[in-house]
Amino acid sequence: MRREVRRTIYHLVLWLIALLFFMPVLWIVLAAFKTKGDLLAVPVKWAFVPTLDNFADLVRRHDFFSSLENSFLISAAAVVVALAVAFLAAYCFSRFKPGATNFLMFILLSIRMVPASAAVVPIFLMYTALGWKDTFLGVMLFYAMFSIPFSVWILKGFIDGISPRYDETGLVNGGSRLHVMFRVVLPQVRPGLIAAFIFNLIFVWNEFLFNFIIGGKVTTMVPVSLVTGSFAQGGVDWEFVASLASVYLVPPVVAIYFFQKYLLVGMTFGTVRGEV
Amino acid sequence: MSVTPGESRIEVKGPGRAGRLNRLRALRLRWVDNSRYFPQMLLVPVLVFFVIWNIVPLFWMLGMSFYRYSIITGTPPRFLLFGNYADLFANIAVWLALSKTFIFVLGAVVSETVLGLLLGFLFWGSTTMPGRRLALTLLFTPMILTPAATGTFFRLIYEPTFGVAPHLVHLLFGANINFLGDKAWAMFSVLLVDIWMWTPFMILITLAALGSVPRAELEAAEVDGLPWLKRMTHVILPHAKFIVMLGILLRTIDAFKVMELIYQLTRGGPGSTTEVVGLMLFRRAFEGFDMGWSSALAVVTLLIAIAFTSVYLFILNLSREEKGVA
Repeated sequence: MRREVRRTIYHLVLWLIALLFFMPVLWIVLAAFKTKGDLLAVPVKWAFVPTLDNFADLVRRHDFFSSLENSFLISAAAVVVALAVAFLAAYCFSRFKPGATNFLMFILLSIRMVPASAAVVPIFLMYTALGWKDTFLGVMLFYAMFSIPFSVWILKGFIDGISPRYDETGLVNGGSRLHVMFRVVLPQVRPGLIAAFIFNLIFVWNEFLFNFIIGGKVTTMVPVSLVTGSFAQGGVDWEFVASLASVYLVPPVVAIYFFQKYLLVGMTFGTVRGEV
Repeated sequence: MSVTPGESRIEVKGPGRAGRLNRLRALRLRWVDNSRYFPQMLLVPVLVFFVIWNIVPLFWMLGMSFYRYSIITGTPPRFLLFGNYADLFANIAVWLALSKTFIFVLGAVVSETVLGLLLGFLFWGSTTMPGRRLALTLLFTPMILTPAATGTFFRLIYEPTFGVAPHLVHLLFGANINFLGDKAWAMFSVLLVDIWMWTPFMILITLAALGSVPRAELEAAEVDGLPWLKRMTHVILPHAKFIVMLGILLRTIDAFKVMELIYQLTRGGPGSTTEVVGLMLFRRAFEGFDMGWSSALAVVTLLIAIAFTSVYLFILNLSREEKGVA
């Protein structure tokens, strides 16, 4: 009986910690349901009557759906391109082990370690010179590049886990090499593909800096609208910012609820494996 | 793997659609599948991406760092050789920004590691917890949101007139603190947001590290009645240390990269209290449009990042050799 009580207290403490970390997020979501008066009330108002007006206003803004659509299209397209490219490379690294495998894998990893503020300068110069700024393709391909290193790392790990016996059997039985790659190996790395897909989607969905610099009217994504909205002239439009932020955070939160077991591999770029 | 596949062949049928498709397929087999260069072909797309989006910008940046080039004046770039680097070296603001960055990195990584390890141990026995998945989702939410967004959240929370943080501090301590506007508090407030965002990551890392300790060894330690401290140093630490080290290094690298969060919270202000290197670079490049100088600073930050990264790779290699797997 005492053990039961202690266990309950322990679980309550854990829940409290989790809620504590979620509080700031909850605060902005709550703000989205407040009227302007409640939101700006001094002192802070704890009880309020929820309203959906902010979301109604949000939907009526001309830039809301376009940035949402850009976010979805650009991230999905970029991740699909990245996965296709990464799967070929990962298969090559895993099965043929060319001499430069380790070197190339490390170079790929170090791309992820480059400070974005340093990389954005030359990318900006290049995009301006080539006229790729604010084009769907230019921005999308940049994000594909952005997603490739992580995808290669994660997919190589998963392909390494599949015995080369499968490939050999396929080849001996008259399958062509592409057949073996796509019909024998690919279906078996589905968990890796899912993990890479979900996390790249989150990373691109979240990306702000490059979109801010090399994007524009046609390619503005949600985080950029959020930041530019929160620095509006003549005071911040907090109802807009809060409701847009609440919409923005739904996909990542839902994704980590459903794909929690890939969280570790996702957050460490595929270098640490395991489940939590 | 050293398999030389039997050449895959197919019959080429006569005219018509099926024949054309078969001929195409035969061509594919001849030039792709059965090519001697098949492995190299698989690498072509990734190399194309790599060259266009990494090698070209890298050399662009290196080249630009030797010039004086501002994109607003419209004057053609002027070659300076190491002029920009000499200026960086002599510029006190750069050193200040660097020292602020290191204070930020140190403050963030140490607090996140300590908190993450403590809470990670606390969460270790949580496997039977009711609603665990939801609780962990709530716990891990901060780290999967973009700093551009979390910065926005905290602008509302820290807001001096109607923000909840100053209000609570006033209720509890009777003090009025302007978190982001006061020079004495700005760095601390920014750090607090980073700690909130990334402590969950260190919890995740700690959980993974603890998960990598074999159950059998833990049970053996339990049966042998090994004291708590010995259990730590002899059983848990040898298995867990690599993952924890990788986590700490990854946090170090990411904290060094910090830019968006501070941009959104304070824009480097008040004054230049929170102007870390990344932010200084960004502002010189996209508010001052001084591309040559910022390229030089970018090269320097890149070198620092490379130094951190090589340590990361070194540890990663060690941990793989230890385990003998990738």
